[in-house]
Amino acid sequence: MNPELEIQMIAVIVAVASSLPGVFLVLRRMAMMTDAITHTILLGIVIAFFITGSLTSPLLVVGAAIMGLLTVFLTEVLNNTNLMSKDSAIGIVFPLLFSIAIILISKYAGSVHLDTDSVLLGQIEFAPFDRIIIGGKDFGPRAIYMMGTILVINLVFVVAFFKELKIVTFDPALAAVLGITPTLIHYMLMGVVSVTAVGAFEAVGSILVIAFMVGPPVTAYLLTDDLKKMIVFSSIIGALNGVIGFNIAMQADVSIAGTMAVVTGITFGLVFIFAPKKGLITTMNRRRVQKKQFAANSLLFHILNHEREDDVDYHNSISNIEVNLNWHKGYLDKIIDSLMDNKQIIIENNIIYLTDEGREYSIKSYEDIVGSLKGAYLS
Amino acid sequence: MKKNLLILFTLVLPIIIMGCEKKSSFPENDKPNVVATTTLVGDLVHNIGGDKINLKTLMGPGIDPHMYKASAGDVTAMQKADMIIYSGIHLEGKMEDIFENLEKIDKKVLAVSKDIDRSKLLDFATNPGNYDPHIWFDVSMWKESALAVNQGLKELMPEEAETFDKNLESYLLELDELDRYVKMRSNEIPREKRILVTAHDAFGYFGEAYDFQVKGLQGISTAAEAGTRDMRNLANFIVENQVKSVFVETSVPRKSIMALQEAVKAQGFDVKIGGELYSDSTGDESMGTETYIETFRANIDTIVDGLK
Repeated sequence: MNPELEIQMIAVIVAVASSLPGVFLVLRRMAMMTDAITHTILLGIVIAFFITGSLTSPLLVVGAAIMGLLTVFLTEVLNNTNLMSKDSAIGIVFPLLFSIAIILISKYAGSVHLDTDSVLLGQIEFAPFDRIIIGGKDFGPRAIYMMGTILVINLVFVVAFFKELKIVTFDPALAAVLGITPTLIHYMLMGVVSVTAVGAFEAVGSILVIAFMVGPPVTAYLLTDDLKKMIVFSSIIGALNGVIGFNIAMQADVSIAGTMAVVTGITFGLVFIFAPKKGLITTMNRRRVQKKQFAANSLLFHILNHEREDDVDYHNSISNIEVNLNWHKGYLDKIIDSLMDNKQIIIENNIIYLTDEGREYSIKSYEDIVGSLKGAYLS
Repeated sequence: MKKNLLILFTLVLPIIIMGCEKKSSFPENDKPNVVATTTLVGDLVHNIGGDKINLKTLMGPGIDPHMYKASAGDVTAMQKADMIIYSGIHLEGKMEDIFENLEKIDKKVLAVSKDIDRSKLLDFATNPGNYDPHIWFDVSMWKESALAVNQGLKELMPEEAETFDKNLESYLLELDELDRYVKMRSNEIPREKRILVTAHDAFGYFGEAYDFQVKGLQGISTAAEAGTRDMRNLANFIVENQVKSVFVETSVPRKSIMALQEAVKAQGFDVKIGGELYSDSTGDESMGTETYIETFRANIDTIVDGLK
């Protein structure tokens, strides 16, 4: 038995199994469904406890799974009315079911250690010690088998229904036209989400369920627009988060689940900042370039506008432009430099003149703008 | 993209390699490694096992066993353990099932409460068959637990049986003395004034053993919040019986008991907060209460001084 290796294996399996439905949850803007399920299952546990009267009965886990399904069912029903947004539907169902559980506990089971933790293991740290042992033979951690099965189910579901899932997620109207029932696919997806959430809760605990199901898909979404790639990236990122988190936790001797969740956040942060296309730096760069482009165009239009006037040497002098456009001297110099590099302007005696190239470019971009305005307002 | 993945991988690799050096949670020697769950169990095992074993206690002082989260080092400790000793009766929740299952392979597992007669356990009226796990504040039950630990350690190290028996004998004497002390201090309060109001029901066996009427504001589970009616009933009870002090507990938040104090004040009666009681764990060295005996002494002093 090697708990270190087994914990990492469990983390990787859970990460991949959670990524598969997680990607669709994130794209459907229902990421917090996982949070809801990890809470509402308490009601299932409480009801099953009242029926069996025992804290150790396996029926308690069954109750939890059924309540997970009920949660997604109720949310879908509310959602299908189109009277409220998806997150509002979750916001109604989750507190309702969860508080019923709390009320039942305080009313009828106040003296028993009854909460989610006493029925579901919910600690990845203990997962390698929860082993399947038959006839004195050790078959390895239970979580690997359970989450392995869930991983296979999810994989089969996503592969078999990939086309349907894709159309339903991005264009439900088209799906209906093509004869695919969005409702049926949604219920199936949410069923998969529920089973995955309950299983992963038992294996790794509630924080990691949410971290694995939401974090990697959102991170992957920043890296690609392709659904297949998003699923693959998300699985890889989730698995890496788990492995890196585990190793840092071992070094620092802290909570393993907590560190994995923190690493998930850090990975997201790094990708958020550095992602090649949608990252913060790229976006800021793009905005800076656009701003400079706009400034250059303004300057060119100004010069074009005044170049046939008599007092051109007044209007198009650098000192006057500085006042007219109300730019800092440094900024103006930068724009002028870049326009000169492009050979669009020349300067003689501190007066700016358009080159032929510059004039042609200015007129063309002017007409583009006017053309698009006409298109927008006069059609 | 491939280049990025490569960079990521080179960043990750050293961390993985670094992680492979194991931190040792037990000293490297020939003694068997024993893991105890709570500080109370740890103290008991230490008293019987002495320096013949390497002992690691998972939960620190002041930790509510119900809210315990394992650290990475705890995982290594459990892996290396030859024996795991826990309190039992569902105090450690789901962990107990796991421990019991481990018994089938290479680990010895022991619940200190295993030999306590189930008929002596307090059954919850609302949910029969589920017992109160807080056995330690009845010295006679802790003595039975000491016997169980002694037996377990002897099975683990038959060659040290004599030492363990000697340790047990002297520890039982200390426990007897503690029992006398608790009874002596309890007798300073007339029977009808022996009312202990605390934040959660961890003193049931204490009440049975030393004739205290125990009222808990919260259920057994520290996860459930006190209901408003519980609060009102308890406030009424305090006023009717002119209870002088109520007590907070180290592993449970203060605020519920302070709310109770306010509710009593609203009825025109003043109840003091008598101090902090240790419930699910021992105290720590800074308070001089790091053993079971010191912890229990501190508790009975706090209770009696508060009610006098």
